[in-house]
Amino acid sequence: MTAPVTAPAGPGRDVPAVRVLARTGAAEWTRLWTVRATWWFLLAAALVWIGIGALAGLESAGDAAQGDPAWVVASVAAMPAQFLLLVLALTAVTGDHATGGIVPTLQWTPRRTVLFAARTLVPVAVTTTLAVLLALASAGTAWVAARPVLGLPAGEGVEVLATVALVVAAGSALAVGLGFLLRSTAGALIAVVLLMLVLPLFLPQFPYDWTAALAEVLPGSGAAFLLLGEVPGMTQASAVGALLAWAGGALLLGWLRLARDDANR
Amino acid sequence: MIEVRGLTKRYGDVLAVDDLTFDVEPGKVTGFLGPNGAGKSTTMRMVLGLDRPTSGRALVEGRPYAALAEPLRAVGALLDPGAVHPGRTGRSHLRVAARTNGVPQRRVDEVIELAGLGRAARRRIRGYSLGMRQRLGIAAALLGDPRVLLFDEPVNGLDLDGVRWIRALLRRLADEGRTVLVSSHLLSEMQQTADRLVVIGRGRLIADATTEDILRGLGTARVRVRTSRADELAAVLRRHGATVERTGAAELEVGGSSAEEVGELANAARVPLSHLSAVARSLEDAYLALTGSSVEFPGGRTEPAGTATGVTP
Ligand SMILES: Nc1ncnc2c1ncn2[C@@H]1O[C@H](COP(=O)(O)OP(=O)(O)OP(=O)(O)O)[C@@H](O)[C@H]1O
Ligand SMILES: [Mg+2]
Repeated sequence: MTAPVTAPAGPGRDVPAVRVLARTGAAEWTRLWTVRATWWFLLAAALVWIGIGALAGLESAGDAAQGDPAWVVASVAAMPAQFLLLVLALTAVTGDHATGGIVPTLQWTPRRTVLFAARTLVPVAVTTTLAVLLALASAGTAWVAARPVLGLPAGEGVEVLATVALVVAAGSALAVGLGFLLRSTAGALIAVVLLMLVLPLFLPQFPYDWTAALAEVLPGSGAAFLLLGEVPGMTQASAVGALLAWAGGALLLGWLRLARDDANR
Repeated sequence: MIEVRGLTKRYGDVLAVDDLTFDVEPGKVTGFLGPNGAGKSTTMRMVLGLDRPTSGRALVEGRPYAALAEPLRAVGALLDPGAVHPGRTGRSHLRVAARTNGVPQRRVDEVIELAGLGRAARRRIRGYSLGMRQRLGIAAALLGDPRVLLFDEPVNGLDLDGVRWIRALLRRLADEGRTVLVSSHLLSEMQQTADRLVVIGRGRLIADATTEDILRGLGTARVRVRTSRADELAAVLRRHGATVERTGAAELEVGGSSAEEVGELANAARVPLSHLSAVARSLEDAYLALTGSSVEFPGGRTEPAGTATGVTP
């Protein structure tokens, strides 16, 4: 071949693990933004979040009750909108398995724990940042649309944005972990919807204690408690605990599968 | 240099690769030959750390592939050209690859030229023909200017120009002193490009020798003869240096002598013949016979394939 790549590039030369991780992270960043799906999910999340903000703002504009914080709107809108970001994170993982792209991926990054770390950190950081920005935009839109009915107190804003960040970060980690574990977009999507939406909603409807107890330890109940604050029997601690435990468990199982299994089984 | 040592892979009941041992040396094109399902792709995937061997190991430049921090600078590989995300452009695909291994981005445009992708590189892979995907895979393989290259069936689906281009590329890479392993299920293809052949069948090594030796071994004329006194005739023929294979209760297949010689020897020994004919065997037939019945041969033999049809009294 014509041009040598860089001067001292012995094939076996060692590169600090941190640099390998940074490179893999940069590659994951490029991977994420060079597929259209990412942009579509981002657009849809923005529409839902800001759209609900605008509608809620317009509705409260006619209300007499003065001074309610616009942040509540952003928090409530996060409940449906988070799913679009979760799917964004999920397809960042499963897309490669569905298309066979995992073969070149692992060829280029054969250290699987490095790939796992980069492929977890980048999508989770991206969705969390987007969630904070979109929640901010949603509250701002509601505030503008309702002027001068709603307030926008800074202290409460920080609290709501931190909560949204926590919920979306944990939810995305769960989605990423399930993506690594199940390797199929449909399968992981069904699991996420069951755990985050369907089961937390339906289990408490049955007249048994154990279904109610089970519902309380699901990540969706934790998210609902933190965002909406209307889940009987839950506390701040149990909600955060449920979210983090599920996220951590899914990531652990996902890492085990990626580290041990053949590339494209 | 690629070293494969006792490599074995089992998928459930299927023994895809069975105790393979061979070396691939630099400066040569080594053909990796075997019929469909022989285990070529599986072997390559294990060399690249994609599949975990059931036992045994494979080293590239003396190290396991998965231990390389910058694998693209050591090893380039083309596996399934369809296994790429179709939503990306060819160029973004290569940019991601370059990022992962710290290869400068300007190299991306170089390999796009080198592989003849041209303006297609800016289109989404979804719309690529098989030949373009193949070229994209080759561009990725060349990205890090590696010393070792693996190509899994690179001429599949290519037109004549594409095939010629691949052949010239393989030759050039080997002449530059690189290690080149290229798989195929077509002997005729390998005949044109490979200096050495590693032949496998049903996961086992059948032959590992120069292409010339293997072709010579496969090409020898054979004679079919039937007689009720097959054992007696076999002994006579063997005494005269022929190789004899028992193909039926009263049938022998003889290598290393002509039909006339067999007839004369039988006559001299007063063995009556009921049938005598030369067996026409094309190279492909011979190769199919060789790999088709490979499971009967002990693994790990490194003789030219011609001797694989030894005496079976
Ligand atoms: N992931 C898998 N799960 C189960 N069996 C597999 C898997 N991959 C390969 N096999 C089996 O292993 C054997 C070898 O397959 P492999 O793809 O390595 O053959 P090959 O020599 O590349 O064939 P071809 O010329 O068709 O590409 C086959 O019997 C195949 O069915
Ligand atoms: Mg194959």
